[in-house]
Amino acid sequence: MDGVHVALASGESLVVLGPNGAGKTTLLRMLATLLRPDEGSLALLGHDCPEHADRARGAIGYLGHDPLVYLDLTAWQNLELFADLYGLDDPRTRIVDGLDAVGLLPRAYDPARTFSRGMVQRLGLARMLLHDPDLLLLDEPYAGLDARGRALLDEVLAAERAGRATVMVTHDVERGVAAADRALVLRAGRPVLSEPVTDVDPAAFRARYEDLVR
Amino acid sequence: MSPRSLRQFRALLVKDLRLELRTRDTAIAMLLFSVISMVIFQFAVGTRTEETTPFAGGILWATIALTAVLGVSRVYVPEREQRVLDGLLIAPVPRMVLMTSKAVAIVLYLLAVEIIAVPLVGIFFVEGSFAQDLPLILLTCLLANTGIGILGSLFASMALFSRAREVVLPVLFLPSLLPVVIAAAGATHSVFGVSNDMAEYRGFSLFLAVYAVIFGLVAYATYPFVFDD
Repeated sequence: MDGVHVALASGESLVVLGPNGAGKTTLLRMLATLLRPDEGSLALLGHDCPEHADRARGAIGYLGHDPLVYLDLTAWQNLELFADLYGLDDPRTRIVDGLDAVGLLPRAYDPARTFSRGMVQRLGLARMLLHDPDLLLLDEPYAGLDARGRALLDEVLAAERAGRATVMVTHDVERGVAAADRALVLRAGRPVLSEPVTDVDPAAFRARYEDLVR
Repeated sequence: MSPRSLRQFRALLVKDLRLELRTRDTAIAMLLFSVISMVIFQFAVGTRTEETTPFAGGILWATIALTAVLGVSRVYVPEREQRVLDGLLIAPVPRMVLMTSKAVAIVLYLLAVEIIAVPLVGIFFVEGSFAQDLPLILLTCLLANTGIGILGSLFASMALFSRAREVVLPVLFLPSLLPVVIAAAGATHSVFGVSNDMAEYRGFSLFLAVYAVIFGLVAYATYPFVFDD
């Protein structure tokens, strides 16, 4: 990564676009405190990172390519684990609400291994939102989801986005731009575009994007 | 440990035990490995004579050390295979808590193996009665397991990001276990069967405790950097 400058306020959303190998996931993993930048500065939710990454982590929600849940545990056991790791009060209510929001409450006591790919991704979504994070980091969250799963994910994210900063990495340019306030396009680790997209037609933006990354 | 860390530790340990109870991958593999090893030793050195009794402690702890390598190499398998490690690392869990939970899981797996392996080594190799020695050998197991667990958790975490972890882990871990094997075998030998040298037992036990404390301090100083640097 080189020359990337991102500033995001609470309630704002950023979509990060680019071809494979552009550095999108690397950027997101830095924001998730999973990678240390060699140079430059990173402040998350008012905490300088990586020095104070441990203070920022409690307010970050991350959903990557993988849903980050144990397939051999039940949906309830997975959320119970993360409720304890995040030190949540009243975990029972939060787990019930979380599973209900993603439509998995009837399957709460089934091992995640018995779920379809879309259901596991929804469980990952419930895990991400369980601790009411201030910063949502989404890496290809639509990957592997069918149309119904995508619609549900859109619905949940739209409901949960208010008051949180959101960064989404996706190859789905139109869907990403439609959901974001700003777009950052990367190519070979460098930004080639960074601008607001609130009033931009997603289809028209896609044509521009194709030119930028060609 | 703060109440919050204690809650995190308990949750991580319960998770590991739940996964183990569901899949029965690690403890069963360790148990089978240790039983098969001792059967092989039995054919190699003979059965339950005056000559085999002095070797019982050494056979037991050589077997436990090799079994520990198997257990330690599998301790992060759920996180690796089900790709959940990032979820744990993003959570506000001190690295010390994460690795302590793994160390305790290793200790419990080893204890599960030793519950079978210790009587078995007595039956196979110790002439005469040994039931009265089991409480002291259990204490040796607890001391040795603590050192093995701390060291195993540290090396397993370090090897996690290595491509050649299957090679790196035994190469680093087994030589580091040598002092534990020597001291635990010595402690076991000093009380197993007809032997009853309590001064020797105390000396070896003290060594095992010091080993656990030293590697506990090394791990405490190292843990935060294993995942983050």
